Amino acid sequence: APPPEKKRWLRAYLELQRLQAPPQRRSEKPNWDYHAEIQAFSHRVQENFALDLLKTAFVNPCYIESEEERRRQLGLDKDAVALQLQDNTGLAERGLRFARAYLAHCFEGAYPELPAKGIEALVNFLTSQELVSYVAQNLSIQDLALCRDFPAPPDVLQRTFLAVIGALLESSGPERTGIFVRDFFIPQLIGKDLFEIWEVVNPMGLLLEELTKRNISAPEPRITRQLGVSTVLPVYFVGLYCDKKILAEGPGETLLAAEEEAARVALRKLYGYTENRRPWDYSKPKQGLAAEKAISSN
Amino acid sequence: RYVRQLQRLQLLFSPTAADARGARQFVEESAQDFARQHPDVVLYVSPHSGPGPAPVLRAEYLNGTVREELIASKTSEEIVQLATKLANQSGLDIIRIRKPFHTDSPSVQGQWHPLTNKPSILTIQGPRLQPQ
Repeated sequence: APPPEKKRWLRAYLELQRLQAPPQRRSEKPNWDYHAEIQAFSHRVQENFALDLLKTAFVNPCYIESEEERRRQLGLDKDAVALQLQDNTGLAERGLRFARAYLAHCFEGAYPELPAKGIEALVNFLTSQELVSYVAQNLSIQDLALCRDFPAPPDVLQRTFLAVIGALLESSGPERTGIFVRDFFIPQLIGKDLFEIWEVVNPMGLLLEELTKRNISAPEPRITRQLGVSTVLPVYFVGLYCDKKILAEGPGETLLAAEEEAARVALRKLYGYTENRRPWDYSKPKQGLAAEKAISSN
Repeated sequence: RYVRQLQRLQLLFSPTAADARGARQFVEESAQDFARQHPDVVLYVSPHSGPGPAPVLRAEYLNGTVREELIASKTSEEIVQLATKLANQSGLDIIRIRKPFHTDSPSVQGQWHPLTNKPSILTIQGPRLQPQ
């Protein structure tokens, strides 16, 4: 006889239990093989890792603490079941230093006019918590990372991803790690404007400094076009002229806002970060070996 | 670089049910080749003994979507085709595409706004020009 099925009146309750169950880590659900997942991760990213380095890269200090806590609570002797895991703080630091140095080197090469503060702002944005944790989430690092809380907080994900970069640095060397950092971080800049990333309080002052460095006279702002002056929504186009030649033109609601916007447009043109600049060059690097050696000595 | 969006494939089937015959043949013949050709997808084969739910191929993607496809009464080749189809998909929801075109640069010379092609005030009414 066929086995008795679950009672019809029980199904709704079981469904409710299933929906209200707290979210669990993927490693606690059925069908999970850590070693296979790590191998698949290295193939997915198309990089050869030393697997033991990669496994240490996923171990976070909060996980080690929680494991020791659990062993103490279960009453196990410390020497009997010693935890032989190293955490990923060293790898994470090395990865962070390398990523920052490499990205700064890339931006100095691509935008030579950009000042040091701008490059620092760009690099800080690219290594910020939200961006790195977003990239890590979409590479399934949140499943592989061992940490105390679930879902993993963004700073844990950032540390784990930087540790992965550090592990890659140890296994494959600075060139391949540089290509990896370029492929995963630089596309996050697509569609972003310079002054969304870099907060500039006084664009006019910065513009005056830049122009004095290049020995161009101070800009003279003039109203180029204006629409709807006496309405609620006026539009003023203010143009900045140096020696009677146009430098940049920017729109705004009030005259002051339009002048500030014109200063920002002029700065974008000077630094070469306009919307119609050449897209980033992702081709295989053949030269620059000396530069990589310089980075690895940092 | 290209990152395959499929994370893992779980093949849940029963070793005795009649409609899981294709699944069993797939496991015997083509599962190893499939796993070798796709080294970045983890393939889990979990037979659950006794009569149970229908044989299903569950695909988990990097953005978290889980897609289940029934493989009852499918032949081994069909399951291979289905698995490759799932491996080449991304985890985005399968919805109607509103328009078949998309461009990242909708305007090359700058989008028209009411002030393009209008001469500015300075050319019409500059400090030294007479108003025309």
